[in-house]
Amino acid sequence: MSETFTVPARDLTKTGIPTLADIGDRLRGGAWVFVLLGALLLGLGLVLQAERGWGNLLLTAFNLACVGLGGLFLLAIQSITGARWSDPILKAHRAMPALLPVAGVLMLLLAFGAPVLYPWARPDAASQHLLHGRLGWLNPPFFFGRVVLIFAAWIWAGRRLTQQGKGAAPFILVFGLTFSLANFDWLMSLEPVWSSTILAIYGFSGMFLQGIAIVTISAIVLRRVGLLPAVSKAQNHDLGKLLFAFSCFWAYIFLSQFLLIWYANIPEETGPMRLLLQGRWMPLFYLNLLLNFGLPFVLLLQRKAKTSETVLLATCAILLAGRWLDLYLQIMPPVLRGLGPVFGPAELGGILLQLGLGHLACWPVFMKDANPAQELPQAE
Amino acid sequence: MSSTEPPHRSRFRASFADPEQLLGAVKHLRAAGHRVLDTYTPFPVHGMDEAMGLRPSRLPRACLAFAALGLAIAGGFQIWSSAIDYPLRTGGKPLLAIPAFIPVAFELTVLLAGLGVVASFFVAARMRPRLRVPDLHPGANDDQFILAAELGADIQFPAVARELMGLGATESSLLLDDRFQRGDSFWDRPAGIGALLLACLPAFLLLVSVPFLNRDFQKRNLAWDGGMGAPLSAQAYDASGVLPGGQVLQSPPPGTLSRRSEAPLAFAPGKAEAERAGRELQNPHQPTQARFNRGKLVYERVCATCHGREGDNNGSLIVARGAFAPTVLVSPVVRDMPDGRLFHIATFGGPTKMKGYGDLLSREDRWQVVLYIRELQKAAAKPAAVPAPAPATPTGAQP
Repeated sequence: MSETFTVPARDLTKTGIPTLADIGDRLRGGAWVFVLLGALLLGLGLVLQAERGWGNLLLTAFNLACVGLGGLFLLAIQSITGARWSDPILKAHRAMPALLPVAGVLMLLLAFGAPVLYPWARPDAASQHLLHGRLGWLNPPFFFGRVVLIFAAWIWAGRRLTQQGKGAAPFILVFGLTFSLANFDWLMSLEPVWSSTILAIYGFSGMFLQGIAIVTISAIVLRRVGLLPAVSKAQNHDLGKLLFAFSCFWAYIFLSQFLLIWYANIPEETGPMRLLLQGRWMPLFYLNLLLNFGLPFVLLLQRKAKTSETVLLATCAILLAGRWLDLYLQIMPPVLRGLGPVFGPAELGGILLQLGLGHLACWPVFMKDANPAQELPQAE
Repeated sequence: MSSTEPPHRSRFRASFADPEQLLGAVKHLRAAGHRVLDTYTPFPVHGMDEAMGLRPSRLPRACLAFAALGLAIAGGFQIWSSAIDYPLRTGGKPLLAIPAFIPVAFELTVLLAGLGVVASFFVAARMRPRLRVPDLHPGANDDQFILAAELGADIQFPAVARELMGLGATESSLLLDDRFQRGDSFWDRPAGIGALLLACLPAFLLLVSVPFLNRDFQKRNLAWDGGMGAPLSAQAYDASGVLPGGQVLQSPPPGTLSRRSEAPLAFAPGKAEAERAGRELQNPHQPTQARFNRGKLVYERVCATCHGREGDNNGSLIVARGAFAPTVLVSPVVRDMPDGRLFHIATFGGPTKMKGYGDLLSREDRWQVVLYIRELQKAAAKPAAVPAPAPATPTGAQP
């Protein structure tokens, strides 16, 4: 497919075109504003309503870790399969693992807010009939010890993989175990009585979908500013197919989890699901399905749409919003209960923090990797 | 399309050892005004579709149409069978339980889309069993990269052959057979899509007509008795050689409590206890229209099978089958029993055959049934008034 793009890439040989470094400089100031404003708003949220503040901090930390892991996972499977199709276009996934240490620090900050979020961290947990048996696994020292171990494994494997290109296969194994553990520990224990064995795969589907969306956005933006001059629409088509496939995968796993809970109707499984299905959380439950599956499915169904940069960018934006909502619906209902969804300073602060930190952590690595002056990556 | 095509031009083939050479040759031939008919390669060569100038495949249209057909059949059939034709409530779920339909709908959508697109491919590519294909080249679809093309206007083959050799061809020759016709496929024509969408129509119509077909979901509107009315499985009142008591229907285990978690009654079964209940218990509920309606519902569902809808054994299935005659509820004997005693019998069972319903009905429902029986007795005492269906004066009399 050698069709031309509607928005042509800029010609780098002309003068007056900003280089990648210029763009980075320009964005850095904005990113710092985002980080400071986000931290301020999140702090304000903590003061106003502690549950929402800590919940959004958990959301921010978890999603930043997921962004890092998404890049790392893409890198690992491409290294294992020896894929070359992605080399010219996917640049962001090498930079994304730089977020893991940041996410780790944020996650450790939760040690101060654990009793607010997690019922098992409260002083009365030992006297609760449904909880006391689980305290051997769910207690603050052991829990945060596991946080440290998990992040250490991720950061170490990420360094090895991004810098030396080694250890992809062992990383996949370690990733499978640690990411499951992270989902069960950090998200599922918000509602310690509830259990879903498929939760880790559900988390993975959302995480990987978000990773593909981010590298797609970066590939399109890079081409538009003129850094990927020889890319044809075939590469966009590949990215579109990946987005479409993993959006369907997310829906498949979502239904796999939902259907069993709905069918069996066991009280301890249905309880938290009922919060979502009835009452004030319900519109968001259906919006989540629409953002993560319904809209991307319709938008990307046609081959023509999968190659269109406008459609891809729109879909990726929808998916990123859907990812935030997906995590919001996993974290907030157990914390806020019947209060219902709220969007305020804490939520906005969390989002700004994610955007700002994402840029500040990833951009330097990205610059080093995609050196714009010397080697322009050439597609066939 | 064939009308615009000049009738006969010479066709030729050329073989290459390398995919890149084939790609170059295809581009060269098309630029020189020849028509490349097809290429035969051991594996898909990247960029060949563009080099040959092939249009995007029309198969996705067939795929979409078949997927829609699968979705319509699966959705329509499940709605028809579980909500209309045989509306049987399962697992406490609604009759139109959409989540339960999703897996089947998904599978059938994928199945029909997959099978349909393969079948469409065979139709479009004119492939059929025992199709005889003359050998184009011994290396075709083996290890050689081969193209078949049609000479451009006013070009002679020897000149082309020399060019092809220069491009790296290992061999080239004119083809004598006229067998590389390429025409429009089924899916290129609007009629193809239309025909398939027409095939989907019955299923779509069924989906659309669901709300109008039968508003009464309690009624089975088709009564073919294909063994459904007389199933082979053991029935509640059949004798059993295995189960305790020699009967299929078993009593709940002793000490069974209602799931409504009411505190146990301070009474035991038996006649003496029933009389004590008659002395000590008062009906805690005042008769209201709502309680009358609820009592009537419970009575007609649970009690009327034996006692009859008016409490006079008239219409009782048990009496009609000649098993035994239950106590006539509107008789003076029952009318003179205190509320508490009736409640005790409803809870623990009667002196002769009646089983207790304490495990089945909530305490409130049992008291409401007692209220309803009182209304039946009042209606029966006045010979002119007809008790059901319209309540005579259920609420107005008492405060």
